[in-house]
Amino acid sequence: MNWTEKYRPKTISEVIGNELSKKRLVEWLNNWRFSKKLGALLIGPPGIGKTATVYALASDFGYHVIELNASDYRTANKIIEKVGFIAYENTLESYISGKTKKVLIFFDEIDGIDPKEDRGGLDAVIKISSKKAVPVIASANFIDPIKHKILLDNFEVIEFRKLTPKQIYIIIKRISELEKLDLDDDTLIEISRRSMGDARLAINILYTVHVGGDINVILNPFENMPIDVLLRRISSLSNQQEIKTLLDSNSNHWEDVLYIYFDIITRSPVIKPDRRANLLEHISILDMINGMIKRNRAYFLMKYFSAILSWIVYQSNRWGAVYDGRIPEYRLYTYVLNKDIRVELEELLNKYGNRLHESKRKFFFESLLVAVLSNPKYENLLNWTLKIYGLDDKLKVVKKYGVSND
Amino acid sequence: MEYQTIRYGEPFQIRRRLGNLFKDIVRIKGVEYERGKGFIVRDYYALTNLNKILIRMGLILTPMVKCVICDKNIECEKCSFTDVCLKDVTTCLCDECLYSDDVVEKYLSTSRGYFEDFRRSI
Repeated sequence: MNWTEKYRPKTISEVIGNELSKKRLVEWLNNWRFSKKLGALLIGPPGIGKTATVYALASDFGYHVIELNASDYRTANKIIEKVGFIAYENTLESYISGKTKKVLIFFDEIDGIDPKEDRGGLDAVIKISSKKAVPVIASANFIDPIKHKILLDNFEVIEFRKLTPKQIYIIIKRISELEKLDLDDDTLIEISRRSMGDARLAINILYTVHVGGDINVILNPFENMPIDVLLRRISSLSNQQEIKTLLDSNSNHWEDVLYIYFDIITRSPVIKPDRRANLLEHISILDMINGMIKRNRAYFLMKYFSAILSWIVYQSNRWGAVYDGRIPEYRLYTYVLNKDIRVELEELLNKYGNRLHESKRKFFFESLLVAVLSNPKYENLLNWTLKIYGLDDKLKVVKKYGVSND
Repeated sequence: MEYQTIRYGEPFQIRRRLGNLFKDIVRIKGVEYERGKGFIVRDYYALTNLNKILIRMGLILTPMVKCVICDKNIECEKCSFTDVCLKDVTTCLCDECLYSDDVVEKYLSTSRGYFEDFRRSI
């Protein structure tokens, strides 16, 4: 039997770590029927005991758990087919008369449900929870504040955090004692160091070592980190070489780091204007290099990308602009802020396109050209272009309706 | 440079006149201010950001987390796991408790006692 299953905690007190989160969950479950929120949403990285906590809690309070995994049940029909009947059977009347079934619905990995692709999936979850017939708990690794807004608004959000190596040590020491393994303390400490706060990973490494695997070839703890962990780590480092090593081990996140640092530097209240300008200039260079790498497959430029990125992170940390823990910032930047600009542009193009009886696309390119060339610096070029393309009138139109040179 | 020791999740007063920096400090995610009590820091990374501001006034806040078993203060920076730990916790274990023989039993009994007390209180 898999050790992660075999040594799954039976009671809430056996769950190691996340003491405050466990306490909040117990409080919520004790009062769930009268709570304003429809359910509890446990958010945290994998392998830290979210599912284990739910099962241990259910066992403590005498609930029977009905688990739905978002990878199997995604659409409204399937979810209602599976658990809808419970929501309708257990009414307030049956609760008062004491005939309710002690059932807890657990939606595991609810972030796997996409509000657009899996039509109605999240609405079905809310619908079932709003009946308040049985307690509903959901768990997620990463919640998108835009996609899963409905969950964040209606569920009590309880954050679970990664365990410390010492807490991991307790977990694997307990298993090692119960299994009577012949492993010394140094090995257990090394496993807890390498597991990066992931209890499931630590147990699996323990098993691998027990069956004869070599701990040194298992994994490098600094490779392929989640983006939030990587950001937190690089923003707490004060040595450029260390930052570069860490970034080199996580090259899949370079672009994310670039955009997030652009965001951090832009809105940091503590950084001085000249320093901000300096960093933004480097970011623009890096953006160009990134474009070249992608467009021309010029992978030899990656070493420059890594060096400049680590310099930006190092200087940014030194000058006080550090990552402040808002995970989806770059998403906000990409989807929300740009969306406003897009909507504004769309309105502008509709307005001018209608007035001039031209297509939006044609007007956009022509006005953009005129707007750029209206800069006094390009006066000769502008006259020449206007003459060639017969766009003299367009300049007057653009100036009349106020499109600035910017 | 002056060092001030604080515990996560517990209120404290900053030994400096903050002036305009007060706004910057309460904007940090994970730092709260309760009138009459003082600032509360929720996690390690909030403290890192807070220290970036306070260091300019010659003050560094040193974090302490509580040992679950013996309630002793533990300083994260002096811990042997500091290079691999995310430090995103309010409770941990001190070295004496960690390397004692019956650490698992001690941890579980503390946790059991804590939750039984808690269940009785609700």
